[in-house]
Amino acid sequence: MGDTPHLVLSGLAKTYPGADGAAVRGIDLTVERGRILAVLGPSGCGKSTTLRLIAGLVAPTAGRIEVDGRDLTDVPVHRRDMGVVFQSYALFPHLDVARNVAFGLEMRAVGKAEVKRRVGEALELVRLGHLAGRRIAQLSGGQQQRVALARALVVEPSVLLLDEPLSNLDARLRSTMQDEIGRIQRETGITTVFVTHDQQEALSMADSVAVMNEGRIEQTGTPQDIYERPARPFVARFVGRANMVEGTSRGRDGERTLVELPGLGKVPAAGDPVETGRPATVMLRPHRIALAAAAPESGGARGTVLSAAYAGETVAYRVRLGDDGPVLDVERPTGSEASHGPGAEVALSWDPEAPRLVADPS
Amino acid sequence: MTAEAVAAPAVRPVRPRGPGRHALALLAPGIVALLLTYAMPLVWVLRMSLNESGEGGLIRQTVSFATFAEVLSSAHWWNVIGQTVELGVLVTVCTLVVSYPLALFLARTTSRWRGLLVALAVTPLLISSVARTFGWMAILGNQGLVNKTLGELGIISEPLQLANNLTGVVIASTEIYMPFAILAMISGFGRLDPELEHAAASLGAPRRTVFRRVVLPLTLPGVLTAALMVFVLSLSGYVTPRLIGGGRVFVLATEIYDQATTALDWPVAAVLSVLLLALFGVVIAVYLRAQKVLEARFTGPQGARS
Ligand SMILES: Nc1ncnc2c1ncn2[C@@H]1O[C@H](COP(=O)(O)OP(=O)(O)OP(=O)(O)O)[C@@H](O)[C@H]1O
Ligand SMILES: [Mg+2]
Repeated sequence: MGDTPHLVLSGLAKTYPGADGAAVRGIDLTVERGRILAVLGPSGCGKSTTLRLIAGLVAPTAGRIEVDGRDLTDVPVHRRDMGVVFQSYALFPHLDVARNVAFGLEMRAVGKAEVKRRVGEALELVRLGHLAGRRIAQLSGGQQQRVALARALVVEPSVLLLDEPLSNLDARLRSTMQDEIGRIQRETGITTVFVTHDQQEALSMADSVAVMNEGRIEQTGTPQDIYERPARPFVARFVGRANMVEGTSRGRDGERTLVELPGLGKVPAAGDPVETGRPATVMLRPHRIALAAAAPESGGARGTVLSAAYAGETVAYRVRLGDDGPVLDVERPTGSEASHGPGAEVALSWDPEAPRLVADPS
Repeated sequence: MTAEAVAAPAVRPVRPRGPGRHALALLAPGIVALLLTYAMPLVWVLRMSLNESGEGGLIRQTVSFATFAEVLSSAHWWNVIGQTVELGVLVTVCTLVVSYPLALFLARTTSRWRGLLVALAVTPLLISSVARTFGWMAILGNQGLVNKTLGELGIISEPLQLANNLTGVVIASTEIYMPFAILAMISGFGRLDPELEHAAASLGAPRRTVFRRVVLPLTLPGVLTAALMVFVLSLSGYVTPRLIGGGRVFVLATEIYDQATTALDWPVAAVLSVLLLALFGVVIAVYLRAQKVLEARFTGPQGARS
């Protein structure tokens, strides 16, 4: 492991024959050896297409794919040495679990005894050793998913590609499988790209996250970068929940930019500075806003609770700022503090790091 | 509380319901039609096969297996049975070989013309098989298209014997049964999923291996159904062996017709019909067995279920 680029995509683009627009419009990405990259984006943004381009299942209209500096663009699928886990699992229904896993090894002309040993090991890795003789039709969804993972891993591919591998699982099994994939990836150290539309999954599993929209990469960075320092409004809205408040820049205040926001006055916000007098958008995550019952003559931001929705661990409030200011989403943990009913007057506060400037695309 | 428990409707045992009056009324027309057109003639044929034939088309009413014994001890009839099976096997093999690539293409294509192409593949069914057989006679005969062309090109000096023999019947039957085979295969290729081929390729399988290890095994059930269909159709086929066979291809269907209409030997015709029926029984038994074996490969042995 280290910081050497392993998989490099440059200017990758794909237009399907007969389609109106391009599915993927020029992607540049680098994945370091042994790391996990998550490709995150809404449905139809071109995530699967990107993965298929890397695997060689569709041919790019433009751009290059390199592994260890070698151009793969003209290498056919079966010589790319990439393990793919398909969203539908694509397990062979006519073979049992062990023979599904053995398939890739048989293609590599591995000896019988070694096939047996490595299939056994791979099935142990995904904790399915006891089901080796089962038919695919006799497995649950989660078990099938693990077979698909074992089948892709057993050949020790140079790159592992996962297409929404957990989207068909229930919440509990999904979190178990997230842990397992993380464990397996650490144990094997295989460079991994996985596609998801679940931001929590991307943030918790990946070393770096690429947020995609309409065939383009909006931002690439560590999970912290993406969540705390979104480069664009799309990223802020898509990754986690965000209040986006539009205002006007009123110059610098030390490290921060002062932004005049409706109903809030001048708020210092971190992020790339915006020229004085120009429009500026500030992001405030709902859980970083604190609420307190408003004392009659105290200063600071004030608002009126419009609604309060109880959701177990948290309460989701909607609060109107001032008398006719913007409406903010606020999320507070339950239990530790007093709750506020609709109509209540509240004072809002946050730590100075919370507001962030988000550049509008230009 | 006790009163409530007694009154609870959920504990009342549910009586299994038989088919209602309505269901019987709806079934009646179909049952009557089947009785008249299928069961009655069948019983009549079975009864006739137990009679004996006298001289001059006379039928001696008895209950004996004498006619069966007579047919089954004759080398001629065994020849006919043999040729029926031979023709069936040849036609089935040829039809499957020619239809499989077409069916595979039609099942896998994502072209927007797919519907039209499937329709085109079965349009020959719109033309009577008699007309199509005559068409083949014009192509395969000694003065036909093939022999004329080859002769004029100087490739052959003697005409190829393509009609009035088994070869001609096999060629024409193959074409005639292709639409059935293609339809049966397409509907039987349900397990074929392009993603499975992608998966195999990503695991290192070149195209030929993908076909051999994934596509072929997954399409076998459809091929089996098509095989049954074509084999049964060709066992009972009359028009093509009669017309293209030119009186030299003897199969059960043509012989039954001759015995019934020319020789007027109804007991022998009935016995041959019963033998043909028995042949169908054997074929279907083989099919069911093969299907079970294939099915077990997809779902595992019965014991391992649940
Ligand atoms: N085979 C194809 N032919 C034509 N257009 C396609 C094809 N596959 C995908 N597309 C189009 O390309 C775009 C991107 O599709 P893609 O499958 O990559 O999206 P995705 O991000 O994986 O979405 P999802 O999250 O729903 O799986 C979509 O607009 C889709 O309609
Ligand atoms: Mg997808």
